[in-house]
Amino acid sequence: MNIKKQFGEGLVTNNPVLVQQIGMCATMAITTTLFNGVGMGLSVLIILTCCNVVVSAIRKIIPGEIRLAIFVVVIAGFVTIVDLLLQAYIPALSSALGVFIPLIVVNCIIIGRAEAFCQKNKVSACFFDGIFQGLGYTCVLILMCVFREFVGSGKFGGGLIDITNGLRFTLDGTGSGIQIFPSEYGAAVMNRPFGGFITLGLLMAVMQYALKKNAKKKALAERAAAEAAADKEEDE
Amino acid sequence: MLTNILAISLGAILTNNFIFSQFLGICPFLGCSSKVDTATGMGLAVVFVMGLASAICWVIDTYILIPLGLAFLETLAFILVIASLVQFVEMFLKKSVPSLYSALGIYLPLITTNCAVLGVVLLNVQNHYNFIESVVYGITGGLGFMLAIVLFASVRERIEFAEYPECFEGFSICLISAGLVALAFMGFSGMKIF
Amino acid sequence: MNGDTKKILRLTFILFVICAITAGILGVVNEVTKDTIYMQKNAKTIAAYSAVLKSDRYDPVEFDSEAFPTIDEVSKADNGSGYVVKTTFPGSQSTITMVVGVDNDLKCTGISIVEHGETSGLGANAASTAEVGVNFRAQFVGQGEDIALSSGGGSIQALTGATQTSTSVTNATATAITVVKSILG
Repeated sequence: MNIKKQFGEGLVTNNPVLVQQIGMCATMAITTTLFNGVGMGLSVLIILTCCNVVVSAIRKIIPGEIRLAIFVVVIAGFVTIVDLLLQAYIPALSSALGVFIPLIVVNCIIIGRAEAFCQKNKVSACFFDGIFQGLGYTCVLILMCVFREFVGSGKFGGGLIDITNGLRFTLDGTGSGIQIFPSEYGAAVMNRPFGGFITLGLLMAVMQYALKKNAKKKALAERAAAEAAADKEEDE
Repeated sequence: MLTNILAISLGAILTNNFIFSQFLGICPFLGCSSKVDTATGMGLAVVFVMGLASAICWVIDTYILIPLGLAFLETLAFILVIASLVQFVEMFLKKSVPSLYSALGIYLPLITTNCAVLGVVLLNVQNHYNFIESVVYGITGGLGFMLAIVLFASVRERIEFAEYPECFEGFSICLISAGLVALAFMGFSGMKIF
Repeated sequence: MNGDTKKILRLTFILFVICAITAGILGVVNEVTKDTIYMQKNAKTIAAYSAVLKSDRYDPVEFDSEAFPTIDEVSKADNGSGYVVKTTFPGSQSTITMVVGVDNDLKCTGISIVEHGETSGLGANAASTAEVGVNFRAQFVGQGEDIALSSGGGSIQALTGATQTSTSVTNATATAITVVKSILG
């Protein structure tokens, strides 16, 4: 298992949201501003990496019958730690994400990776898997946030970027974002649940289109290569 | 008191529907909605477990965790309670009510990772509901989930005969149709609740 | 059978140990973050308090919680300018937590919505920092116990498309003034 392959899998070919199609609740619920998206993505990335490492480290000593229960306890532990830290140091993020931080416990991405990957792999591989899968998740969140925020209220980077006194990043969620067009012309419905469903649906369609096209291209190239080889044989 | 309970129920079923406005329980919603029968089964199981989990977790939170100052263990305790509750209900139904077990049995294990169940318990704590309000919120939240999943299953049965671009196949077209149903549910948000 | 029991006991023990370790670690993290969380929460409340009634300190005072179930807390401003009332009440879609400042003449000095889950773009405007929210809240300053929406004979203009939220906020303000009245006797 090499790192480059894992990177590609996490971000594109085995992306947790777009390809594995899991962990969709939070994906649709919180992607209204870039601040929420980046915050949620990084929280999941940290929790996923920690859980992956721990699960992989203890994989040989835990009995198979109760492995799921143990995974859940480990995950709940890390989630609570992140929850407490956010409440203490980034309260704005904690109140913006609300119940979706503790709900990371039942996010299938984490338990799914523990079950499918970390049980069989070394700690180092699991560490990178956590980072890349987490990055894949974060990228999807960011894409959705950018799209929904732009169409919905004509903004970019709400909460995270502040341009009133020159460009700077705000960690307390107060940044006003960059207004690209007046928010009156935005489709406010994109900030509502409807926008979440539609955006994720479209994103998945684009992904499937790209993957299918890629697969077709590959198949064509293989066939061409095979034909060329066959021709060559005939020539000889 | 009564108006409060009515407000909670209407809110949980229509205006703040778990699926269409709070995004809780999307995975089983998409996974189990291909047929109306399975959707009904899943919905019933969720109503059952959400009601029970709300009651038990309220008791544990109020009489054990908060008096001991262990409120930070809420998430951990709740998920363990839900997981063991689901196991227990499954065993109990198998032994005592086999007819109900054969109807709900296969859906029960899936419920542990249904974020609507953990979500409703956490929301009960967040909204400072008392025992009755918690149970009502749990049951009506489950009913809202059931309404959503059954409605959507009927929509999906029609999608099968629809023509759409190839790349929208699978969850993609489902999400977009779910978005349209959510748009319809948005109509309820203008509704006055007392 | 004996072997089975032994196995179950062993599994339970392992699970218990893992739970205990996790709980222990969480206890430590909780201990470390507890004070910061408390301060963060307090800072939010104090910021909300001073937004409606300026003072350096606020001391909680007794009130009849049986008669006013929606009132969470009444605090007296240390500089004697009046009282701050924290109240939680049902809005249109959610429970709203609001802070109301009341001066000694039983006039509202301002309101600030601390927490809510109202419909964004409609009821949520009541708490928004945009012009529409600021203007809405500004109407409450100087209102007395007889505060009411314009449709109910008062002077508060309801938010567009959010009559329910506006009504709840108005009524809660009236209740807050009443509770202060009962304290001043």
